[in-house]
Amino acid sequence: MRGRRWLLVAAASVAVSVLGQAPAANKASAWTPPKTLDGQPDLSGYWTNITLTPLQRPANLANKPFFTPAEAAAYEKETVERNNADRRDPGTDADVGKAYNDFWWDRGTKVVSTLRTSLIVDPPDGKVPALSQEATQRIAETRAAARGHAFDGPENRGLSERCILWATAGPPMMPSFYNNNYQIIQGPGYVIIVVEMIHDARIIPLDGGPHLPKDVRLWMGDPRGHWEGNTLVVETTNFTDKTAFQGSSKDMRLVERFTRTAPDTIMYQFTVNDPSTFAKPWTAEIPMHQTAGPLIEYACHEGNYAMTGILSGARADEKKSAEGGK
Amino acid sequence: MRTKVAIAIAGAVLLFFAVPARAHHAFTAEFDAKKPLKLRGTITRVEWINPHSWIHIDVKNDDGSVTNWMVEGGSPNALLRRGVAKETLKAGMEVLVDGYQAKDGSNRANGRDIIFADGRKLFVGSSGTEAPDERPEK
Repeated sequence: MRGRRWLLVAAASVAVSVLGQAPAANKASAWTPPKTLDGQPDLSGYWTNITLTPLQRPANLANKPFFTPAEAAAYEKETVERNNADRRDPGTDADVGKAYNDFWWDRGTKVVSTLRTSLIVDPPDGKVPALSQEATQRIAETRAAARGHAFDGPENRGLSERCILWATAGPPMMPSFYNNNYQIIQGPGYVIIVVEMIHDARIIPLDGGPHLPKDVRLWMGDPRGHWEGNTLVVETTNFTDKTAFQGSSKDMRLVERFTRTAPDTIMYQFTVNDPSTFAKPWTAEIPMHQTAGPLIEYACHEGNYAMTGILSGARADEKKSAEGGK
Repeated sequence: MRTKVAIAIAGAVLLFFAVPARAHHAFTAEFDAKKPLKLRGTITRVEWINPHSWIHIDVKNDDGSVTNWMVEGGSPNALLRRGVAKETLKAGMEVLVDGYQAKDGSNRANGRDIIFADGRKLFVGSSGTEAPDERPEK
C-alpha cells in the first residue's frame, strides 16, 4: 500500500514537472549526468540554493508564474534595496533588528534561474494550500500555550537560537539569509548531504529498507532514498512535533527529488504530503547551483553568547516592568 | 506541567518556522532601541565565531578610565568567503561603533555600523564580492 501511494506521488510529481515545465528545465533535459565510480548519477560537490525568489507568489504577481528577464531584473533590484541592512532607522526596534551591516548578510541578488515568481510550482497559484481546521486549531493551541513564556528559559527559544536546527537543513532544504551551502557526498548505498548551517549531515540510506518504527521521531526525520533514472528520490517520515514546516504535523511525509540537469545545476523539488494539515500535497522547486567549497565550519553552540544576552535582556525587561516601567 | 512546557516549546518552534527570521536570533530581545550609543575604541580582540562574531574594544571614558565593550557582528562564514581575513580586523585598530546597548545594561552592544577611524565603513556594501550567486551569468 505504502509503495503504491509512493508511486502515485511520484507520478503526480512527474505530471507536475511536465505540466509546469520551466524553460530552463526543458533545455537541460537532454544532458546526461556523469556517474560515480559505483554507478550512481553524480550529484557530488558543493551546491547553493541561495535565491531572492519567495516560497509563495507575492499578491501583486498573481496569475504570473514566470518573470520576463526584464521583470526579473526589476524585482531583483527592488528586493535587494528593500533587504539592505545598511539603511538606518535610528532608535527603532526595526533598526536594532537589522542587526549589522549588509556585508554580513548573503541573501542573494538574483531570482531562481527558471524565472519562476514563487518556489511553489503546485498548486498553480504558487501559494501554500489553506491549513485544515485541525491544523489551525493545533497551531492556535500551541501558540496560546507559548504566550507569555517565550523567554522563560533556553528551552522556550526557537531551534535556530538554540543551535539545534536551521531552515536551510530542513528537510525540506530552504534558502535563508546566509550560508546557504551544501556538500553532497556519495558512497555505495548512501547519499550524505552536509548542510553548512549548524553543520548538520543528513545520511540517506539507499538500501530500500523500511522506515524506523513510528514511535522513533527525529529532528530531521528518517530519510530513505532510491534512484528513479537520474533522479534521487528521498522519502522522509518520522518527524517530531517540535518542528513544523509551514504548519505541518509530525506525520508529514516529505518526498524530495534531486535531478542534476546541467553540469552546474541540480533541480531540487519537494512535495509536502500531510493530509491532517493540507487537503492536497503541494510542491516547490529550487534550482541549486554549483559553488566553490569548502563548507566553513559552523560550530554554533559553543559561541552562542546571544542566548545569555536574550534571557538576561528578558530578565531586565521584567525587572523594569515590576518597578513600574521606570 | 511537563506537557505545558513541551507545548510552549512547540509553539516557539512553530513561530520560528512560520515567521521569516531577520537574523540568527531576536536582536530586539537582546539590545535596547532606547539605548543607542556611539563608541570610539581600540580593538583588543576579535572572536571569529559562530553563530555571531564578537569584536572587543577598549573605550576611554571621560574620567580617563577604560571600559572593555563587546560588539556583536554576524556569522563570520560569509565574510571569510568574501575574502575578509583575521588581518582585516585586528588588535590595535581604532573603530567607531554606532549601535545599541544590551538591555541588561552590561557592556555589550550590537554594531549597527562599524567605522574605521579614518572614516571607511567596515563591512558595508556587498557589490563586487566573490560570494556565490544563484543564477550563473550568461
